[in-house]
Amino acid sequence: MSLTSALGIAQRSLLNTARQTSVVSQNITNAQNPDYSRRSAVLVSSAPGATALNIQRATNAALFRNNLAALSSYNAQSTLLAGIDNLTLQVNGVDNASSASTLIGKLQEALQSYATTPSNENLAENAVEAARQIANALNNGTDAIQTFRSQIDQDIAVSVVRLNDLLSQFEAANKTVIHATQAGTDASDALDKRDSLLKQISELVPISTISRGNNDVVITTTSGVTLFESIPRSVTFSPIQSYEATTVGNAIMIDGVPLGVGHGGNTSADGTLSAMLQLRDSVAVTMQGQLDEIARGLIVSFAETDPNGLLADQTGLFTWPGGPSLPPDATISAGLAGLIAINPAVDTASGGSVTLLRDGGINGPDYVANNSGGASFSDLLFVYSERLDTPIAFDPAAGLDANASITNFAGSAISWLELSRQQATDASEVKSALMLRTSEALSNETGVNIDEEMALLLDLEHSYEASARLIRAVDEMLSALLSAVQ
Amino acid sequence: MKISFVSSHAISKALSYQLMRLQSDLAKAQTEVTSGKYDDVGVALGARTGQAVALNRDIDRLNGMMDTNSLVATRLDATQEALTRITGEAESFLSALTVSGSGDTARQILQANGKNALETLTSVLNTSLNGEYIFAGVNTDVKPINDYGADGAPNKTAFDDAFLAHFGFAQTDAAAETITADQMLDFLDTVVEPMFTGPDWETTWSNATDQTITSRIALNETAETSVSANSAGMRKFAMAASLITDLLQTPLNENAREALVGRTRTMVGEAISDIQNVQAKVGLVQNRVSDASERLSMQVDIMTTNLGDLQGVDPYEASTRVNNLLAQIETSYALTARIQQLSLLDYL
Repeated sequence: MSLTSALGIAQRSLLNTARQTSVVSQNITNAQNPDYSRRSAVLVSSAPGATALNIQRATNAALFRNNLAALSSYNAQSTLLAGIDNLTLQVNGVDNASSASTLIGKLQEALQSYATTPSNENLAENAVEAARQIANALNNGTDAIQTFRSQIDQDIAVSVVRLNDLLSQFEAANKTVIHATQAGTDASDALDKRDSLLKQISELVPISTISRGNNDVVITTTSGVTLFESIPRSVTFSPIQSYEATTVGNAIMIDGVPLGVGHGGNTSADGTLSAMLQLRDSVAVTMQGQLDEIARGLIVSFAETDPNGLLADQTGLFTWPGGPSLPPDATISAGLAGLIAINPAVDTASGGSVTLLRDGGINGPDYVANNSGGASFSDLLFVYSERLDTPIAFDPAAGLDANASITNFAGSAISWLELSRQQATDASEVKSALMLRTSEALSNETGVNIDEEMALLLDLEHSYEASARLIRAVDEMLSALLSAVQ
Repeated sequence: MKISFVSSHAISKALSYQLMRLQSDLAKAQTEVTSGKYDDVGVALGARTGQAVALNRDIDRLNGMMDTNSLVATRLDATQEALTRITGEAESFLSALTVSGSGDTARQILQANGKNALETLTSVLNTSLNGEYIFAGVNTDVKPINDYGADGAPNKTAFDDAFLAHFGFAQTDAAAETITADQMLDFLDTVVEPMFTGPDWETTWSNATDQTITSRIALNETAETSVSANSAGMRKFAMAASLITDLLQTPLNENAREALVGRTRTMVGEAISDIQNVQAKVGLVQNRVSDASERLSMQVDIMTTNLGDLQGVDPYEASTRVNNLLAQIETSYALTARIQQLSLLDYL
């Protein structure tokens, strides 16, 4: 032991303090960065008397995993909720004002006032206009749903590109971590980068990670499909430009395996991709089926019957490209809601006559119900308005009552949608709370507390001062010695 | 080694998340206070939203039905009033028939009375309301009764032809003097009466249909809400009045004329009781319509209450919530300011 060694230790202490200060300053700089993990510079004794600095990065694997899972499920839920909100607004309007159910009510009112004064052609026009509103609403609803599906399809394509990009960034970060670990240098920055990428990936697909030697990480989806192992696996998807009611969207393939589709209002999906598939293939398709059934119900309710019971029923007020025959019973005719139209025979704009609605005969004289030709004949109008309240068979595939009146069926369609929306809203609150809670817990575990860093800084200052003082003391001692020697 | 650790990021995030939550709750509560119903009815009711939409629709529908019922009631009122005029006319005609003596002046007065009665009957039956002939059955865009006095009127021609065919000479022919009372009665019973009560009525006299206007007066209730000019009383009254108008101008002998007047007297008597029956029926329908409207308005009240229960919020509860939220937000602001000021730096 000598003064020189004391000087050496003091010097090293100065060096260590300087490095610790730089860690503190890095921590403070990143105090508000959610992807940053707190570093601490720990002194380790290596050889007797020698100390070295070891940079440690705060981690908590369990909390991190929880946070990833919560991120996945929250993102899926909020995607679903936003999609359902969007569909509700576009198809049913604010407060369901443009929903089929509301418009059928308006048609019933119009029929009632027409039936009270059947000789008044203005009221006939009014009834036909109310019917046209329904046909337009169904047409627009179909457009909105199919546009929505094709937008979702584009969003999926963009997200898939992003996922592939994230995976390739992950490859780079992962390589840096492996090299740093092998070389024994500080890999903290690369680890931060890698964790932040994992968070972003888990927003898109639910993942679990497996750590291997040299800090290498393998990513699989929660269902076990490999996303990344040494190199990223390919995620492929081919979007379809324009959607029709009959179009079936393509699956997202991860390493050749199709990604699962979520179901339910409180969705089973994790990650936005799966929720988008649910919107495109389940929610929107079911809604379309319901609109199609409403359209079919209307065509059937206003069908013309032969008063003599000989000829087959044919389309009346509402028709479709397959008219004058009626669409098949109790089966969804895909896309019918987009094709339903007012029969030109009763449409004055197309040269038709509105009074055919009152008298019958849209399909020729055999179907005329008003034989006397009286202008105040109201029986047929009553038949139509009663049919709107009479149960008919619906396709159970629409997900609603299989036997209901068209007015009830249209009401149930609203209930179905609002129930999904309610479930999605409730679930979204729960899942967002969990997401916030887990990120808060993770942040508390791995984040920076500025006060703590400041306190540490004070310690470091003291230790620096003490070391400096030590050097001065040794210097004085040495100079005392040297002057004695002179 | 840390017992409990909190990161600066978590503190500031927690503050801002909570504030955001409070503010979004406040926005919802404010809408609820002003509108009196849930901010988002769909999310609040879920599967019951369809019920709320159906209630809204039914309320509108029933209100519409009450409006149409008032139209129907107007038509029934007009019908009732017209029928009262017809009975009044028939009664004064009947008294004219009863008091009529013999002699030329009396005959002329009675003839004028008959003509008057027929004109009144025709004009009342041809009453129109809002462009609809109310006695035309369902054929409301055509005048129901042909004017007997008009040139070439089909009913007048038919009668003249029938007279000529039966007696072999025209009404104005002096040979009419020879018609006996029995012959006259035979003519009235076998020829004239079938012309009015049989299908000829609809070709010569009336353009109305037997089918009358049916109206839906409540969700599951329809009623016949007009009277046809083809009803029995009208036919009999028209027959009596037209006989007196025509045949009192014919040079009949006293016996035949008395037989004629006697026959028409009974006929008008029957007509009056028939029309009064119709009036009673119209009265019943008027009652049904006003009852139906009353029931509809009660249903609307009940539905409105139901709808309020379903989608309404308690305004007091909502405004209390707004106040609480405002207080909470203020506290949160104060807390944020103080926590943000809290820094070790101030003490170093």
